[in-house]
Amino acid sequence: MKKRHFLVLTMLAASLFLTSCTGEHKKSDNTESDSLTIMGRKSDMEKSYMTSIFEQYETATGNKLDIIEFDDAEFEINASKKFADGDVPDVFMHFNNADLNRFDVSNNFLYLNDESWVSDLTNSSRAYCEDKEGNLLGLPFWESSVSGCFYNKNILDSLGLKPAATQAEFDVLCQVLADIGYTPICWPADGCTWMFQFGLDPIFADDPSLLEKLNKNEITYSDIPAVTNMVKWVSDAADKGWFGSNFLENGWSDISMIMGSGKAVMTFIWDTWFYTDFEQGNKYSVDDFALMPAFMNTADNGTYEGGNLNMMMVNKNSEKVDKALEFLNFCATADNYNIAFDGISTVNCFKGQTTNIQSSMVTDASESIASNERVSTAASKIIGYSADDVSAAFNQMLNKKTDVEGCVKLMDDYRIKEAKNQG
Amino acid sequence: MLRSTGIISKKWFGRLLPLILMSIVGITAILIGIFYFNFISQRIYKDSTDHLGEIYGQVNHSFGAFVERNWGLLDSWSNYLKMSKDTKKSTVSDFISQEQDYWGFSEFYFISNDETCMTLDGTKVNMALEGAWDSLTQQRKSIMAGETLSSGQEVTVFAVPVEHSKYKGFNFDAIAISYTNKDMANSLNVDAFSGKAKCFVIHNNGSVLLSTQEGGNVFGNYLTYLRAASDLNEENLTKLKNDWLNGTSGLLQCEIGGVSYCILYQPIGYQDYFLLSAVPQSAVSAGFLSVQKTTINVLIVIFLLVSVTVIALIVLRSHKQSRKSRIELQYREQMFDVLSNSVDDIFIMLDSENHSVDYISPNIERLLGIKVKDARENIRVMEKCAINFNVVIPAKELESIPLNDNRYWECEYMHQTTGERRWYRMTIYHLSIQEVKKYIIVMSDRTQEQQMNQKLQEALTSAKSANEAKSNFLSNMSHDIRTPMNAIVGFSVLLEKDADNSDKVREYTRKIMASSHHLLSLINDVLDMSKIENGKTSLNVDSFSLPELLEELNIILMPQAKAKNQNFTIHVQGAPPEQIMGDKLRLNQILINLLSNAIKYTPDGGRIEFLVSEIPKAAHQYVKLRFTVKDNGIGMSEEFQKQIFAPFSREVSSLTNKIQGTGLGMAITKNLVDLMGGIIKVESQLGKGSTFTVELSLALPDKEESDMWYRQKVSRILVADDEEDICLNIKEMMRDTGVDVTYVTDGSAAVDAAVQAHQNGKDFHVILLDWKMPGLDGVETAKKIREQIGINIPILVLTSYDWSEIETEARMAGINAFMPKPFFVSTLWQTIKPLFIDNTEQKGNVDVPPEGIMDGLLFLVAEDNDLNAEILTEMLSMEGASCELAVNGLEALEMFQKSSHNYYDMILMDVQMPVLNGYEATRQIRACEHSDAKTIPIVAMTANTFAEDVRNALDSGMNGHLAKPIDMNAMRELVGKLIGKNNNN
Repeated sequence: MKKRHFLVLTMLAASLFLTSCTGEHKKSDNTESDSLTIMGRKSDMEKSYMTSIFEQYETATGNKLDIIEFDDAEFEINASKKFADGDVPDVFMHFNNADLNRFDVSNNFLYLNDESWVSDLTNSSRAYCEDKEGNLLGLPFWESSVSGCFYNKNILDSLGLKPAATQAEFDVLCQVLADIGYTPICWPADGCTWMFQFGLDPIFADDPSLLEKLNKNEITYSDIPAVTNMVKWVSDAADKGWFGSNFLENGWSDISMIMGSGKAVMTFIWDTWFYTDFEQGNKYSVDDFALMPAFMNTADNGTYEGGNLNMMMVNKNSEKVDKALEFLNFCATADNYNIAFDGISTVNCFKGQTTNIQSSMVTDASESIASNERVSTAASKIIGYSADDVSAAFNQMLNKKTDVEGCVKLMDDYRIKEAKNQG
Repeated sequence: MLRSTGIISKKWFGRLLPLILMSIVGITAILIGIFYFNFISQRIYKDSTDHLGEIYGQVNHSFGAFVERNWGLLDSWSNYLKMSKDTKKSTVSDFISQEQDYWGFSEFYFISNDETCMTLDGTKVNMALEGAWDSLTQQRKSIMAGETLSSGQEVTVFAVPVEHSKYKGFNFDAIAISYTNKDMANSLNVDAFSGKAKCFVIHNNGSVLLSTQEGGNVFGNYLTYLRAASDLNEENLTKLKNDWLNGTSGLLQCEIGGVSYCILYQPIGYQDYFLLSAVPQSAVSAGFLSVQKTTINVLIVIFLLVSVTVIALIVLRSHKQSRKSRIELQYREQMFDVLSNSVDDIFIMLDSENHSVDYISPNIERLLGIKVKDARENIRVMEKCAINFNVVIPAKELESIPLNDNRYWECEYMHQTTGERRWYRMTIYHLSIQEVKKYIIVMSDRTQEQQMNQKLQEALTSAKSANEAKSNFLSNMSHDIRTPMNAIVGFSVLLEKDADNSDKVREYTRKIMASSHHLLSLINDVLDMSKIENGKTSLNVDSFSLPELLEELNIILMPQAKAKNQNFTIHVQGAPPEQIMGDKLRLNQILINLLSNAIKYTPDGGRIEFLVSEIPKAAHQYVKLRFTVKDNGIGMSEEFQKQIFAPFSREVSSLTNKIQGTGLGMAITKNLVDLMGGIIKVESQLGKGSTFTVELSLALPDKEESDMWYRQKVSRILVADDEEDICLNIKEMMRDTGVDVTYVTDGSAAVDAAVQAHQNGKDFHVILLDWKMPGLDGVETAKKIREQIGINIPILVLTSYDWSEIETEARMAGINAFMPKPFFVSTLWQTIKPLFIDNTEQKGNVDVPPEGIMDGLLFLVAEDNDLNAEILTEMLSMEGASCELAVNGLEALEMFQKSSHNYYDMILMDVQMPVLNGYEATRQIRACEHSDAKTIPIVAMTANTFAEDVRNALDSGMNGHLAKPIDMNAMRELVGKLIGKNNNN
């Protein structure tokens, strides 16, 4: 629900603050030489931790920040025009996803591998901000979450069962639960589009060459056996009743009730969902849940998906490179970011984060997360990837309108079509 | 009712008996099967569980050996470490590595009493050892414990206490090796039970150390799992828990997720660990299930065999009964068909629901011409032959009949093929046959009754009609008889009064005779009519000459026509055969009746034409002749034409009133024509005349010899007639005789032709001359011919007139004979035959006996009627004969018997007499001993003139028959014939 609300609010904000035909908003008219220009999405720039760090910086240094923000819907186009016109900001905020390729990363931005704050980055946040060569492209400064398989530990304990550590154990666990009448996995088919990227992440994160070939259209999903294996696992799981009998009718809004009532034991979701969308008052509360890796037959030990992070990149062609690096150092300072993220529910980007709210589920699974977390690869790195399209392809299969191979072909068709639409 | 119920019960019991037997057999088989099944189940289950215990006892033993081995290895290595503690570290490392490669453990640990651990490569690790630290470090016992490594990998650790020592600076008091649980599980796997058995090493609190679960162990605490997932109740779970706490082995059964499991647990003997195996009941009892399956299959087969046998017997018996029933049914149906075929009643059975035909007797085809198949398909086909109603069996009528009730009505049908009409009384019964409602239709034949009724009705009508006719007859007869009788009586009175006046006597006598003749004619007609109507008339068929017939008619009728100055002509059209077979007398009677009427009802000067023609015939040996009598007389009304042939039918008009008649003539004529198989038609128009046509088929006699003309050397004749048609007709009729006919149309030509032929030496053999010809008539022509060629050639005059007035003149002119018209070949032959053949034969044929033949004869007359006797006496007296009278047959007999030999010359015997009738008297005379009994002529005298009367007379011994009133000519002829006195004279 968070993501939906986010999208709605973003669109609402975009309509309210639409003041010019270009959608460009300048938060400051400061044109002094020691000022820095920062460009980003309007809604991103208005996050509390962003405004907090901006204020801290201006207060502490006396420098001014010239914030250039665009409405979310027009951000990519307008920002691209700016770059094309040579009007590149000193600091550029963007997610490390496929759209970043529009901005000629290697020629415009500085690699930050040697900055002092790099060691303070959590492994997952650093991994997220690296390019395929391992160069750190920016400073991650964002709220994030961990996605994996959240299970009702109360139920498992009462059944004398323990969470799975491997795909095989997970399959056994699902079958044992199914055998004694439980719905092992809450898998709402209607509108829940995110799950499939959990399974795809290990395929492309563990073998980046596949991602590159896929994006270059040298191969398709159908050429990658692991993709077919994943699709088949989903199909088999549905056939074995691991998703329950009514999963095709269930949707996003049903997850809270299903998990809270104990009708299902496990689900693939992210930790902050329990604080934003999980309704209290059910039989089970957030304290009854724990986290283990998500298993979709693409990683023996399962996988966690790290959150998407907005990162600050430095224009290496700017005359104010040093000032920009100083700004990043300011942001990466523990005292400063702990002030900014104070009370924010998020997993740590920095090892020194202490004021943010991190769930016990994540904490308890920290060792497992550390071992099995992968950056969100499929959704952010595969050109043309659309969660809705992938979900639609799977639903065709789950509704028995096509088979496993048909589903994979549909995924390819949708992906290629979307990639063409994106140019 | 009770009796029938008993019969039904026996019948049902008979039918149910096989079913009962089959049920008993089946139940017995099932009970035996269950008993056997339970016995085998218990036996096999015990064997299976024992087998399960044995297997896992061996597993437990192997596992124990494995534990002991590991501990033994560690003990041995502790000695080595103790001895080599001064050796290089690399030496220890190499040694352990070699051992690791050999024994397959995953890691080697140095363990300190402070619960810290270090691997061989010096890496510090934390281990919980599941609370076994105290046993190891304090109690100095060897231990086995489960451990989850920081990597998440689950291992089983075996540790033994050793002497305190140091390795790589790490003080250790125990050493340990670990195996991954995957490797450990391999040591617990058993191949038995089709791999479906799961084996666990659990702590006595239920926590799972390791398991053989394929894919990995997901069980944390098996006791908890059983509590949540199985159907074990708390009591079972408590016992289980206690068993584990007490280190007791056990076996229990439970159901998990719908699958029955055997849970077997045995203490390993080390610490508080148990070896627990969970095997699906199906796997444990696989052998049993196999036996069970086989047993069930065998039982099923036995049951099926028994069932099939019983069913077969039932079916066989049922089939036999069914066949018997079918045969009986067929027999009954056939018998019913035969019965129904032999009667004229029709039987139909309809279904009451849809009115379809269940049965219909086959005689419907014979009786109504409807095919059974058609009637079966649709009963409405009967409507085709229904006469007096449109719907054969109306549905409403059927439905209105209550159950066990009936309705009936009369109906009439016409046979589809023959058109024969039949009457039926249709009765419809609405019945329930074996609880199925049916309509039974019985069509009782009422044809004979109906016909009888009709005949009775007709007879009644006929009787009424006859009675009426009788009344009419008597009325007519009364009138018709009284009229001449009145004249006879009246003139007799006058005769007595005027006896002295000879003129009046003659006048009265003539009128009395006329009336008498009329009365006699009337009586003859009545008798004739009665005879014909009674079927007593038989035709006397014989060969006769048509020309003769016509000649006789001409002779009889011409005078009558002449008397009325009528033009009476007879024509023959075509060439009908001259000799034909038939009753000449009756045919003569028919034609005379028609011609007499024509003359009678045609005014003076009128015209009567009689035409004989041959019409196409149907058969070769027959000739079909049409006799047409046409007049231009008074004619008849249309109404009268319709009843002209009815007895006593006379048209009443001012014209007919003056004409005498009995009114029986045409009825007799019609009856005679009918008797001959012919037809008679009349066409008439009042005031214009009538035409009667009679058509008769008459047989032809065998052909005469055709060469008689040749044999008499008659090959050329000359015909002279002013009517050329007659000449041509003669030529045509003579064609088959081979005689060449030359004709001329006047007398002169005839003379010339005769002379010419004579001069040529080819005289005609016969010359025929018409009497009345323009110019020279026949007589004059004959005279001239005789003058020219002499007297040798026969000359005949052909005429339709009475030639008596010119006969003398004609014979003097040289005419040899006369021939009547119309011309017939046979007539010509009969005429010329005497001229060519010696005529001595003809001279002997005298038909009319001479008068005086009875002169001097004495007759015995038996006559009961005095008047008749007196008349006869007088008539015989007139003939010169005398008689003696007897008043009855007996007296005649007595008089004959008393007479002397040859006393009587003849006996005249009346037939109907009192005391003894004529026939019987004759028989007794013939039978008596009088010398003349056999020879004396006896002649019947009776008013009965029918053939049978003559035959009866002859049969009784009489020699002849005379009809009353006695015709003296006939009597003379008969006397001459019987006594032959004329010959004697």
